[in-house]
Amino acid sequence: MSEWLESAIARAQGINDWLAPKRANALDLLANSQWPTRKTEAWRYTPLRPVERTQAKVLTDEVNLKPIAIADLSAIELVFVNGKFDPSQLADMLPDGVSIALGRDLDSTKQTDALNAFSTIKPQRHLFGLVNDALAQDVVIVTVAEGVDIAQPIRISSLLSLGAESHTRVQVSLGAGARLTVIEDVQAQGDSLNTAFVEYNVAAKAHLEHYRFALQTGTNVAIGGSHFNLHDHAKMHSSIVAFGSDLSRLDTDIIHAGEYADAKLNAMYLLDNKELFDLHATVEHAMANGTTQENVRGIVADRARAVFNGRIHIHRDAQKTSAELNNRNLLMSDKAEINTKPELEIYADDVKCAHGATVAEIDKQALYYLETRGISRSKAQVMLNFGFINELIDLMPNAALAEWVRPIIRERFAQMDVE
Amino acid sequence: MTEQIDKALAREYEAGFVSNVESETFMPGLDEDVIRRISAMKNEPEWMLEWRLSAFREWLEMDEPDWALVDYPKIDFQSISYYSAPKSMKDKPKSLDEVDPELLRTYEKLGIPLIEQQMLAGVAVDAVFDSVSVVTTFREKLEEAGVIFCSISEALHKYPDLVRKYIGSVVPKKDNYYAALNCAVFTDGSFVYIPKGTRCPMELSTYFRINEQNTGQFERTLIVADEGSHVSYLEGCTAPQRDENQLHAAVVELVALDNAEIKYSTVQNWYPGDENGKGGIYNFVTKRGICHTNAKISWTQVETGSSVTWKYPSCILKGDNSVGEFYSVALTRGRQQADTGTKMIHLGKNTKSTIISKGISAGRSNNSYRGLVRMNPGAQGARNYTQCDSLLIGDQCGAHTFPYVESRNPSAIVEHEATTSKVSDEQLFLCRQRGLDPEKAVSMIVNGFCKEVFKELPMEFAVEAGKLLEISLEGSVG
Repeated sequence: MSEWLESAIARAQGINDWLAPKRANALDLLANSQWPTRKTEAWRYTPLRPVERTQAKVLTDEVNLKPIAIADLSAIELVFVNGKFDPSQLADMLPDGVSIALGRDLDSTKQTDALNAFSTIKPQRHLFGLVNDALAQDVVIVTVAEGVDIAQPIRISSLLSLGAESHTRVQVSLGAGARLTVIEDVQAQGDSLNTAFVEYNVAAKAHLEHYRFALQTGTNVAIGGSHFNLHDHAKMHSSIVAFGSDLSRLDTDIIHAGEYADAKLNAMYLLDNKELFDLHATVEHAMANGTTQENVRGIVADRARAVFNGRIHIHRDAQKTSAELNNRNLLMSDKAEINTKPELEIYADDVKCAHGATVAEIDKQALYYLETRGISRSKAQVMLNFGFINELIDLMPNAALAEWVRPIIRERFAQMDVE
Repeated sequence: MTEQIDKALAREYEAGFVSNVESETFMPGLDEDVIRRISAMKNEPEWMLEWRLSAFREWLEMDEPDWALVDYPKIDFQSISYYSAPKSMKDKPKSLDEVDPELLRTYEKLGIPLIEQQMLAGVAVDAVFDSVSVVTTFREKLEEAGVIFCSISEALHKYPDLVRKYIGSVVPKKDNYYAALNCAVFTDGSFVYIPKGTRCPMELSTYFRINEQNTGQFERTLIVADEGSHVSYLEGCTAPQRDENQLHAAVVELVALDNAEIKYSTVQNWYPGDENGKGGIYNFVTKRGICHTNAKISWTQVETGSSVTWKYPSCILKGDNSVGEFYSVALTRGRQQADTGTKMIHLGKNTKSTIISKGISAGRSNNSYRGLVRMNPGAQGARNYTQCDSLLIGDQCGAHTFPYVESRNPSAIVEHEATTSKVSDEQLFLCRQRGLDPEKAVSMIVNGFCKEVFKELPMEFAVEAGKLLEISLEGSVG
């Protein structure tokens, strides 16, 4: 076990609040965990040295940080500053049917419900998820009542100042037939460490639109997870856009807990310099007639490294499942590295499952075509790269977010060091 | 394969050290003494003993791998006898009447002649028959071409320099747990050397190799194809072997020097255990080949036997323009578990690899493809294409795919595709409409599913492999 984890456990032991039984459970599991090494399958390509060496500390001074503004996006802002929930940034009036509150402030019935639901969707195998269970102090509970359609997105921002350590946790629950959009974002100023986990319970016929942006680069360690539980006829559509940092790791788990659920996940990662990004996406088809479609695309330049693990697990009872996963990668430099592993684990026979993975460089013919039209090689490369990723941006249902992220991505490509 | 043939031929060179083997079976247990005795028994050179001992010391420090998707009780390595002489006549069934009728029915369907059936079932046969002459002519023809094909024990005496140069050069002693164990205790196996520029005049097969019997448990095969040579090697036989041995930890090493080509085909049909998963072989095999410049290694395997399979025939594409191929059909039924696939390590420029894997799961079995394609920084212009298809028959089985893709060269192209489905109702309906019964229909569809792999097998193997699948699928349909 590492010093970092030992100190995390020691700090967590001092917390005594409404989540005590869950925290104790997490600490038990942590005490029996091995610190991941190269031989740990889930961390095979992602060394934890940046965690071991981090100087990030929990900061208690008041700081005033605000999430970046996104044009044409009017969101309900749920802001954590250095791990602390900042209620002053939350709108005074929430739309009918939505409640956002700290777990510790809930009345006892609601608190018991929240306690029972806590950490039931996020699988216990995530080591840093357990750390988050034990250390996240301000746990925010978001609920949307049955049948309510919330047009205004909720944006969950974890903001970190230089050298800060934070552990943030949100539990989102959609009532039957409800509709909601949630945006998750982490913005850190360097030398930081954060774990940011969100669990989503999507009741029957509810519809969740989800975005996760991991755009902080540089000397930040960001480890997080988005975990979804889908009931009968529930739908989810998730878009993930990630840049890398010293260590950036995201775990998503989509659980088809009901029949006829439908999940779509579009993820893209664009890495430069010495960045690392690791996406572990797991889909559990526990019930029949579910559909899953995953599209994951990556561009890796300079000395960056990308890791993708896409697991689809079809349980014995999940007959008539249809699941597809596609992972396409472009390597831009001979020092860059891609490690991808699409996995299928199938225990039901009447299913249609497929996955594909490719790693290649940019299409030489397309490049040549553009050059013959008088476009410089470097410009042509940016165009092609952008087109490759833009196909997934086009699929984002929220136009304001797509318009916001497009120029950011274009800028990133323009800066990428390509040969 | 055939004990009598073996005996007849073994006489020429077995004198000196085999005689005392006849009655010798070591007490279960494994320590340095056992290894010394194995080595002494085989009259091995000193360096070989040292090599075995150092492998054993490495092995003691290693952990049994647990990453494969297979589940079996822990093996007690101290309860295994590491040297056993050929089964003595009195332990064998006296006649085919004493052999499991299920086994005999299978032989019959495969069209195996009676005399061979007796051999396969291990019946004590006293008659000497025609095949002896076949073997003799076969030997002569090879010698004419300069091809060396003998047991590895024999090679250690006759060609020690060749063996010393290449043994362990592809699969190092401490490569993995079972390989290390094999290095320490291997009892016998095949050695093949094809001289420069030679095309081996016939397909080599363990079927013909003498002194082959009862070496199965810790077998070691080494094939060296010198520059510009070509060889096709067939391993195994298509009929189930009535062997109660539990653990098979074999090592196969292939060396294809510049411009050489090795084609290695396996049909594996070890005892898979009964319906409830009782008994059967643990097939934990390390197979790997190294390709030098412009060389090619092609692995083709049809796996239908063994209760647990852990096997990843691999290619190290070291030389520029070298080619690696892996064609596999793995069928599991009953309670069988197979975790099999390949590794293609691209080191040289313009190296190419193709992986075609077809998994069929029936009954309560689990069938996994596990593969690795690695493009190293030097693999300029390298290319890989992988296709893994799984077919499920019945709702109690599992089909899994775990492909690892690691690329560190932007000009290398890796493509991986995998699909999983069941035998489609439409196809079945079409076949049944044409008057085929469900079992025939499924077997036809499965045969079509595996066609890409079967066409890579040598002719006679392909026919038998098709039949073998048909038999293995019996009772799995409906």
